[in-house]
Amino acid sequence: MRIGTVKENYIADAALFDTSVQKGWLVALLAGLVLLPFFAGQYASYLACLVLINIASTTGLNILTGFTGLVSLGQAAFMGVGAYTVAWLEMKAGTPFLLNLIIGGFAASFIGIIVGLPSLRVKGLYLAIATIAASVILHFVFANWTAVTGGVSGVTMPAASLFGYELVEPKQVYWIIMPVTVLMVFGAANIFRTRIGRAFIAIRDRDISAEVLGIRLLRYKLLSFALSSFYAGVAGGLWAYFFRVITPESFPLMMSIFFLAAVIVGGMGSILGGILGAIFMTMVPEVLKMMVGVLTPFWSDAIAVMSPVRIIVFGALIIFFLIFEPDGLAEIWRNIRRYFHLWPFKT
Amino acid sequence: MDWLFFSEIGLAGLGSGGLYALTGLALVLIYKATRVVNMAIGELLMLGAYVFMGFSAITVLPLWVSIILAIILTGVCGGIIERTIIRPMLGESAISIFMVTIGLGSVLVGVVEIIWGAQPQRLVEFIPKDPIFIGEAYLSSKIGYAFLVAAIVLGTFLIIFRTWRGGIALRATAGDQGAAYSMGINVPKVFSSVWVIASMIAAGAGILVGSIGGISPNMGVYGLSVLVVVIVGGLDSLLGALVAGLLVGLIETYAGAYLGGEFKLLATFSLLVLVLVVRPYGLFGTHEIERL
Amino acid sequence: MSIKNFTKRATGALLAAGLLSGVAQASDKKDLVLGGSIPLTGVFAFAGVGLHAGIQDSVKVINESGGIEGHKLVYIPEDTAYKVDASVAAFNKITSQHDVNFYYGDSTAFEKTISPEVDRSGKMVLTGASFASELNDPVKYPNVFIGGPSYTDMIGILMEHIVKEKPGAKVVLVHSDTEFGRDPVEGAKETATKLGLNLDLVISTAPGGVDVSTEVLKIRRARPDYVIFHGYVLAPIPEFITQARSMGLKTKFMGTFWSSDNSMVQKMGDAADGFMGVMPYSYYYDESENAPMLEKIRSMRDTYQSNAYMQGFFNTMMMAEGARNAIKAGKELNGANIKAGMRAIKDFDTGGIVGIPVTVKGNSVPVGRVYSFDASKKKMLPASDWIRLD
Repeated sequence: MRIGTVKENYIADAALFDTSVQKGWLVALLAGLVLLPFFAGQYASYLACLVLINIASTTGLNILTGFTGLVSLGQAAFMGVGAYTVAWLEMKAGTPFLLNLIIGGFAASFIGIIVGLPSLRVKGLYLAIATIAASVILHFVFANWTAVTGGVSGVTMPAASLFGYELVEPKQVYWIIMPVTVLMVFGAANIFRTRIGRAFIAIRDRDISAEVLGIRLLRYKLLSFALSSFYAGVAGGLWAYFFRVITPESFPLMMSIFFLAAVIVGGMGSILGGILGAIFMTMVPEVLKMMVGVLTPFWSDAIAVMSPVRIIVFGALIIFFLIFEPDGLAEIWRNIRRYFHLWPFKT
Repeated sequence: MDWLFFSEIGLAGLGSGGLYALTGLALVLIYKATRVVNMAIGELLMLGAYVFMGFSAITVLPLWVSIILAIILTGVCGGIIERTIIRPMLGESAISIFMVTIGLGSVLVGVVEIIWGAQPQRLVEFIPKDPIFIGEAYLSSKIGYAFLVAAIVLGTFLIIFRTWRGGIALRATAGDQGAAYSMGINVPKVFSSVWVIASMIAAGAGILVGSIGGISPNMGVYGLSVLVVVIVGGLDSLLGALVAGLLVGLIETYAGAYLGGEFKLLATFSLLVLVLVVRPYGLFGTHEIERL
Repeated sequence: MSIKNFTKRATGALLAAGLLSGVAQASDKKDLVLGGSIPLTGVFAFAGVGLHAGIQDSVKVINESGGIEGHKLVYIPEDTAYKVDASVAAFNKITSQHDVNFYYGDSTAFEKTISPEVDRSGKMVLTGASFASELNDPVKYPNVFIGGPSYTDMIGILMEHIVKEKPGAKVVLVHSDTEFGRDPVEGAKETATKLGLNLDLVISTAPGGVDVSTEVLKIRRARPDYVIFHGYVLAPIPEFITQARSMGLKTKFMGTFWSSDNSMVQKMGDAADGFMGVMPYSYYYDESENAPMLEKIRSMRDTYQSNAYMQGFFNTMMMAEGARNAIKAGKELNGANIKAGMRAIKDFDTGGIVGIPVTVKGNSVPVGRVYSFDASKKKMLPASDWIRLD
């Protein structure tokens, strides 16, 4: 049972992890992440990489939608921008992969700012629809700007190389994906300790009041778009290094909906929520596959319904969480933690 | 400049625009009464088409009975959806309800795939096949009849809204629920009826769209173009849905004919961006004033 | 076959495959693995179901006759719903869990994108549902095999048939705007020029496009003698044909492999009469003499099997034969050697699946036959002899 925590100065108050227990768990998590490729099989590493990429992208979307309140259905398209940029750089310029990822992030950021420009004119729902439009237009560019994107055939790119050593298998690419994602998540958590983060939250809560308080709306909204698209661009670059195959169909509107669902299911406006949501949404299809494997001896139709059932479960999760737990998995997690913190007292 | 070709494309565009306007009508009705933008309208359209296919497979039923049954059944589904999913979300932010309808769309797609399979299929032919010639210009019979049906339904609704008490009740409910209640308007019943009627319209449109191009679980993307229609026309304007529907139909068809099939969606969404920048509330929509 | 029927068999087969791979430990010769990204659900499910059945039956026939030089052949499929990402994920999963020698892909896009990975690992040959001409390049895609003529060759066969019927005819090519659909367009234009046909108009339709009336209007303007469809299974071909006929056009319609399946053409209804297709295989109901494999298939499956089934069956046969050649030559079983073994296949008797002895050229088997739909018999019947494009 945790009685209370005493803070002696503002710096301690603003710390991300205050108690030693929390710090302990954090160290354990990081150790686990580092040790994972040595103990996990090939497929588990594959899943881990996928989850980490999704976490990076979901955290970016969370900054925009969860913390700033600007709903965006363009996250997948921004990832696509990052992915194609990284692919083009890797194939034509041969620059090191870290540089490629950063440039990819900036390219996506640039596009994100353009897409965010209408955000002063239109709000809420209309902005969401504008991002759908951006998504469709970007998809068109991916499919038809054949010189750069390879058109409908897409691009196949070589693997990332670290000091001449090629990173091809999931266990190897993991070493790019994991550090980048961890850094980005910490970065996102830190943003919300600064003035910029507080400005975002103010805009979400009541943007007219925020403007009255002196927060320049257009600048901060564009910053939010830029930041979130940067995350998407880097996540897209990681995706490119992981799959090494990019087609216009790799980043459909459905994927943007997937990320938005991950933000909602995980908990809007909380970094932990973004992480939990991404893990949950990525693992649900795997769990379904396992269930199909278990059910097949008893119910022969199982394999034929797996694909549509996955779609139904996806939609049902969104509906369920929005109706019953709008604050998402993060809230459920907080309730569990509170129960254990206050035990044996009742909440 | 081949004027005959130009006019034939124009006719085809008007025809498909009529169907857009019809589906847009369903969206606008829902928004007018409940302030909900129903992203699942494309999937309701798909559901109507599939249910019709299901009924038409029962060969003892005459086709017109299948059509009516399909429309009614989809209407009932719409009512159930409203009661179970939309009603609990009353009062939540518009974005949450928007996301719920997206989730709903996914669920409908999955259900249709389980029951009828994922492959594209064709509907039973019930529209007369003889081609229509307006002067020398050819118009596909299916599109012609679809346009006719859409025009009749739209015209009926426009008249009803101006004159009937129900139309006023709808506008009242959308404007201020509290005041509507105190005037004796049964607000929950208005909500349910609107969803039922809108689903029925969507089902009808779905049967027509399915007859023209076949049906598949992917049909829901039609809803994206309809979304553009209602934004361009104004989310709460019936007349806007009509005008914008025809406009979007024409633009899409001309883009497809003169630029190429891949430019259709691009043209539609470029129009959307233009409208959002210049006149965000649409051609005929009411300007929303945000208050602190 | 209904979904229920199919899935019963699929599950049985999957279970059997699973059990077999366990039992196989007992024998001393290592099992050979055929992995597959198969579109069992999704928009291409009709093909996926057929492919799956064809591969299964071929594997069974091979194992019953002693396997591949004593090695048992094991089939490990995963469902992809015809999505490239799911196919790649399935590939990663299967190759990480098994030592794969042969891989069956579900689409042109997937085969193109996974090919560099296959080349890098060097352990397997890649085949699949695709007949893409781009894949028909032994230099760029050394480990890929196409179980028939490429799409460009198929259109070439159709065009040769047109030249026989009406030299100098006007032809329109209608294709879907996908990787599958765009593949043979350039090649088709070259072939048309070579054969003296007029192929000025090429129409591309948006995939999943609902309304084709603008495209039909373009055809009306062009008034062609022949229209070749490519990149579709069924829709929107019937719509095109019905509208064109109602406009009074006397055009003849043709399609490539995936539009030529008998059950799909039957679904066109009245529009099907006179529809022509090109196939490198015989149809399930083919009654020609000396076709022992066709009869064996008919004894194993008593309902109509699609052309996808034939492709799955044939490709598996060919890959097994290639491996057999490699083993007989004493070579290690990797991608390059199996492919060399396949290239060594000359005048191979397929037992009636392909009506003439089969020789592999480069990456493909360029033979085919034009069929025409006979409305009175409701069947696709041969309209030409077996054509070899060497």
